[in-house]
Amino acid sequence: MAKVSDIVLWDKPGEKVLLLGNQAIARGALEANIAVYAAYPGTPSSELTDTMAAVAEKAGVYMEYSTNEKVAFETALAAAWSGLRAMTAMKHVGLNVAADTFLSAVGMGVEGGFVIMVADDPSMWSSQNEQDTRVYAKFANVPVLEPADPHEAKEMTKYAFELSEKFKHFVILRTTTRTSHARGDVVLGELPEEIKQGKRKFGKFKKDPSRFVDVPANARNFHPIILEKIEKIREELNNCPFNWIEGKEDAKVGIIAPGLSYAYVKEALAWLGVDNVKILKLGTPFPVPYGLLEKFLEGLEKVLIVEELEPVVEEQVKTWAYDKGITIPIHGKDLVPRIYEMTTRRAVTAIAKFLGVETPINFEELDAKYEKVKPLLPPRPPSLCPACPHRNSFYAIKKATKGKAIYPSDIGCYTLGLLPPLQAVDTTVAMGASIGIAHGLSIAQNGSLSEEQKSPEKQVIVATIGDSTFYHTGLPALANAIYNRSNVLVVVLDNLVTAMTGDQPNPSTGETPHGMGKRIPIEEVAKAMGADFVAVVDPYDIKTTYETMKKALEVEGVSVVVARQPCALYRIGQMRRKGEKWPIYQVNEEKCTGCRACINTYGCPAIYWDEEKKKARVEPTMCWGCGGCAQVCPFGAFEPIEGGSQ
Amino acid sequence: MKEYNVVITGVGGQGVLTAANILGWAALRAGYKVRLGEVHGMSQRFGSVISYVRFGEDVYGSMVPEGKADVILSFEPVEALRYVNYLKEGGMAVINTKPIVPVQVSMGMAKYPSLDEIRRIFEEDFKAKWIGFNAEELAEKAGHVVTTNTVLIGALTQVPEFPLDAEHVREVIKISVPPKAVDVNMKAFDLGIQAAKDILGL
Repeated sequence: MAKVSDIVLWDKPGEKVLLLGNQAIARGALEANIAVYAAYPGTPSSELTDTMAAVAEKAGVYMEYSTNEKVAFETALAAAWSGLRAMTAMKHVGLNVAADTFLSAVGMGVEGGFVIMVADDPSMWSSQNEQDTRVYAKFANVPVLEPADPHEAKEMTKYAFELSEKFKHFVILRTTTRTSHARGDVVLGELPEEIKQGKRKFGKFKKDPSRFVDVPANARNFHPIILEKIEKIREELNNCPFNWIEGKEDAKVGIIAPGLSYAYVKEALAWLGVDNVKILKLGTPFPVPYGLLEKFLEGLEKVLIVEELEPVVEEQVKTWAYDKGITIPIHGKDLVPRIYEMTTRRAVTAIAKFLGVETPINFEELDAKYEKVKPLLPPRPPSLCPACPHRNSFYAIKKATKGKAIYPSDIGCYTLGLLPPLQAVDTTVAMGASIGIAHGLSIAQNGSLSEEQKSPEKQVIVATIGDSTFYHTGLPALANAIYNRSNVLVVVLDNLVTAMTGDQPNPSTGETPHGMGKRIPIEEVAKAMGADFVAVVDPYDIKTTYETMKKALEVEGVSVVVARQPCALYRIGQMRRKGEKWPIYQVNEEKCTGCRACINTYGCPAIYWDEEKKKARVEPTMCWGCGGCAQVCPFGAFEPIEGGSQ
Repeated sequence: MKEYNVVITGVGGQGVLTAANILGWAALRAGYKVRLGEVHGMSQRFGSVISYVRFGEDVYGSMVPEGKADVILSFEPVEALRYVNYLKEGGMAVINTKPIVPVQVSMGMAKYPSLDEIRRIFEEDFKAKWIGFNAEELAEKAGHVVTTNTVLIGALTQVPEFPLDAEHVREVIKISVPPKAVDVNMKAFDLGIQAAKDILGL
């Protein structure tokens, strides 16, 4: 099949293609003649950003991987102020990082269309919390669009730019994992001439301090403007092409299905074989268009709102109905769970209960059968890859601290250092929090070097943070720890890419979608900030890494060790593409004593236990040849296969 | 056809997403409405993964509900068992029987169930039909272990009433893999077809 980066640029209106929701949004942005795109990657939003990066040069769009969501937001916002169509994207928690600018600038509005794509992750497949961005939208009085499938995601993106420009207001395009990471048939639309020709569009910023400087005197004007805008938008959304009423016109029961829930409701009704229902399909969960709602409720005797996570639509509908004196039963969170993601099963169960009918299959019976299977299933959580340099770093840290330190860590692949056998992660909170938490723990237990009173005992604290996370929000925390003189070792796990989200470049990489940017070595930053000890190590050399950690721990104050080695997954991917080979290790059965040190302290997924022979073995298809096992084995049992390669 | 549902499971890195994508394009080219459901991010790192392929006139969401899959196509036996509840009664299980032992099992913290037990649960408790064979061995025979997913897709096309024609799926694989990998993939595809035919007595 053609590459997605080609498909997204195809000048073939009407062609039906298979695209991921995120890729469909990228195509929508191109069809909308976007000029500037800036984002920090975060699952489940990353493929949108990566697709924009892949097509940016050809499409004449400026695209950057920003260092964090706030910076990305500001970059895109300023482009929209300059009259350009601009977009930023982030995962739900990214909006927390950007929230200061988001909530402060909303009253200033925009000139060019400004679309904030936020991908929520109900059930937290790759996230630390389950927040619902629609609540933010309501908080900020910004309209939020939510598609029900990839094609609609593309169409909505175009509409979002138009809506934003018409009202000079921010617009949020909210997806969830199941839209962002759903592939579906998408019909391509027209591409604007400038995109086809790859012509870069430049903007002009017109000064207006009364609008763009939010001193209190100006800011006091913003709130009324925002409230006026959102009510006008609510009116407008009565005619939004993504909101409609369908089903039996004379039905006595109705279902409101916002966003992706519409897909589940449609499947549930088909599965139940029920069609005497009226549906209000809502592409705009906030603000709910009251005109359309009023029309929908005509003749209904009861209503069910099938909504994922928070009762955002439910509260609007119930409030409005109360004010109107409408007293029919309106069900929602009493039948539909408020936690975790929506599924067809959840929708069908809620609807069956609402209608007083049986579910199409007996789920309880199925669950009971499956309960008996569960105890037989060995857990298989995700793990650090074979040859992952982070494993070696954690191994060395644990050894240098004899496992007695506190290990605050951060958001990235290395969070997996939590699992046995490494168990070198004691806390993770949010991006960049490792250093702030490490500092706080040190202050609480050891005190600051600036203080006169000293703690009687010293608690060793070792923070781990990735290169991308370091530049994201680690910087202010490191400056704080150095300035306020706590006693911590900060190990920056520098694999030269933003690995967890798909190996995107960052300041430690230096590359950008438009060619070479400037590489910023982390050790130079640490030195310039005044860290008390700075060193760079190669974690593939476990002994030196261990010795360097020991040395760093002897220093009073803030030590920074940069453990640098490219991401193994990224490196192997590149080698595969180039047809290059790498060594494979195997176990010399005569040397292996079956002590399990490799399995119980190192834990490479390519090494497994042979129950019959009572020896360790290497799964050759999974070995990526770092040789860490050979350094960890006390008996030298791991040996590279002569001439062996993948 | 109203809907056809395939659940693909395995271990992150085995090519589950690639297989789903190939089936999705094949279904799209056959004129069906298509939905694929994938999980990216953390679970791709050698963890348990599940992916959904749905096509037909009546598909909406990207996830196959429990009890509704026509086929479970699994790259690893325990990962088949983990999602057995997705299969509808009388559904088909196309399974690579080569296990990947989880780290927790090697550490002695958990046990790996026997293949016979897994098969028994599928056949007796969930009334499924079992097409199990070592697809990795066949992939090696074809020329490279990375073609394991192609072997399995080949076998899938032989499932009775599978709506996509094997030759049609073959075309999509041909244009999806790098040119130099076409031959080995075609061989793998044929070996998968043959394995399923042998088991089904076709």
